[in-house]
Amino acid sequence: MLLLLAWRNLFQKKVRFAASAGGVALALSLMLMLDAVFQGVEGQLTAYMDNSGADLFVSQQGVKAMHMAASWLPATLGDQIKKVEGVSAATPLLYLSTTLKSKDKSYAVYLFGIAPDAEMGKPWQVAEGKTVPASGETVLDRNLAANLKLKMGDNLKVLGREFKVAGLSEGTGGLISSMVFIARDDFTQLRNNLPVVSYFLVKVVPGADPQVVAARLQASLSGTTVQTKDEFAAQERKLVKDMGADVLNIVNLIGFGIGLAVVALTTYIAIFTRRAEYGLLKALGARNSHLYRQVLSQVLVSVAIGFGVSLALTILLSFIVPLVSTNLVLAIGWAAVIKVILVSLIIAGIAAVLPVWQLGRLDPALVFKKGGL
Amino acid sequence: MKSPVLEIIKVSKSYGTGPTSVAAVKEVSLEIDAGQIILVMGPSGSGKTTLLLLLGALLRPTEGSIRLNGVEVGELSERRLPAIRLQQIGFIFQDFNLLSALNVLENVALVARLAGLKKEAARTKAQAILGELGLASRLYFLPEKLSGGEKQRVAIARALVNEPALVLADEPTANLDSKIGHEVMHLLKRIAKEQGRSVVIVSHDQRIKDVADRVLWLEDGEFKEIAHMATDPVCQMAVERNKAITGEWEGQTYYFCSKGCRNEFMETPGEFGNLAEVLHHH
Repeated sequence: MLLLLAWRNLFQKKVRFAASAGGVALALSLMLMLDAVFQGVEGQLTAYMDNSGADLFVSQQGVKAMHMAASWLPATLGDQIKKVEGVSAATPLLYLSTTLKSKDKSYAVYLFGIAPDAEMGKPWQVAEGKTVPASGETVLDRNLAANLKLKMGDNLKVLGREFKVAGLSEGTGGLISSMVFIARDDFTQLRNNLPVVSYFLVKVVPGADPQVVAARLQASLSGTTVQTKDEFAAQERKLVKDMGADVLNIVNLIGFGIGLAVVALTTYIAIFTRRAEYGLLKALGARNSHLYRQVLSQVLVSVAIGFGVSLALTILLSFIVPLVSTNLVLAIGWAAVIKVILVSLIIAGIAAVLPVWQLGRLDPALVFKKGGL
Repeated sequence: MKSPVLEIIKVSKSYGTGPTSVAAVKEVSLEIDAGQIILVMGPSGSGKTTLLLLLGALLRPTEGSIRLNGVEVGELSERRLPAIRLQQIGFIFQDFNLLSALNVLENVALVARLAGLKKEAARTKAQAILGELGLASRLYFLPEKLSGGEKQRVAIARALVNEPALVLADEPTANLDSKIGHEVMHLLKRIAKEQGRSVVIVSHDQRIKDVADRVLWLEDGEFKEIAHMATDPVCQMAVERNKAITGEWEGQTYYFCSKGCRNEFMETPGEFGNLAEVLHHH
């Protein structure tokens, strides 16, 4: 019955309740959305690893990721790799990070050089044109092409050389960087015909354990780092996390602070304005614990509704954002949701402290003051 | 011999300490039996509210003893006081003090729930009491939709739902018109006489004397004058014993508002069938 009273009191002042739940919703949305953006970026950054078709990635020793990394391996290493037991195929990949310029804007890109007969590492989804570029051609991300105002057959200047747009790929764009593919021979020429590649993409034979094959490769190839696809992707995600940790922490702290301030203030006001009512309940025989439960339930309902709204808002935006922004993807992960739930509970707990203290000290004799509730 | 429901012995209450200390109640003593109605009157600032808070276990006396059904209330720990208030004392306020967010039934059932009754049992009990007080058609109304008299009857129902031994009423008729105030007074009398509850009323309303068994005058924290009331067996009017006209019959003293009533009684005393009640209560 006291919980019913708490519920009714909460909804009786609709504007105050809306301010409380809305404030929490906005604060939590801030946290959820930033997490979703980071999660989306992680997804974009590991898209190539996830879709390349490779089970293992061989890179120069010490190089564990692609983003903000450069790897050099002798092109002849491919033959050695293929001889290792459990290896089905090894595809050389040339790669570097560069920028492409439109009239007034620069776009960071991952430039991949792939052979025409490459088994792995090609664009995995093509909206228009070719999948693998021939010499003098390029296949690039469709959204990037749109940003550069390029269409099929137009020319694109990459590292000082013109390439004809022969294909538009999908799922290869990103907030940080998008993908551009050219022929491996063209890439080698742009690097002054040096007999090197960046990575080898390795496929294991059906039934073989990638971990076991990776260990075997690592043992037989000097000067390399061999990782499974998942390990390679995890390194990439770690890089994003490390780079964004400070921003995430600051925004989380801001969100926490705003949420706490809003809920604490509105709850305090709600309790303060009804202190005569709480005094009455105490006078009638309600224990402090009864009243504390009432406060906690009010705070929890505010925070739970705020959380629900923030989650709904973030989910809604995760659908809307890709429609209006070509490279931004909001991916909502369970870890972020659980984190925000925990933050919500902490907010509720802290926000209840002051009202609980206030009620603990409330004199029930207040009820005999004239003027009523 | 039956012990009194409420016994207060030389109770004092002071606020503050040292030279700035103010004595609100000074060595007040009083015994209240079951079914008795005590009216406490007095000027503003005389200590009436302090006395009510002391009786309601909302304030601890500085000195003296307050016993409710034999339990020394002043010595109970803070943890035990809510249970005493909940089960032994019913409160009625001048401003009704109903919870605006709850309907009539919920306002009453809430107190029963606090006392430990299950939801359905609390609602059934609240419904029964509200029905007895003529509010059966108002169960689901919010307090704002009720008249003053209805609000006070709801407050009375709330005070009674846990069947307390003691009902404390603070100016229960102050916000009511004279007709409704009269109804509330008689309702309190009914509660005392039919249910055997002790009722202490703090009020400025002289009309309440009509239903009171004793009238206490509190001034400067002390009882200055005590009027023992009696009921005229002929016209049922409340009269102060020391100012009333008296008559003896079969070894008992009866109190009358006028000579006419006494004469009528003395001619045919056996016709006044409620003598036992008059004697019992006074």
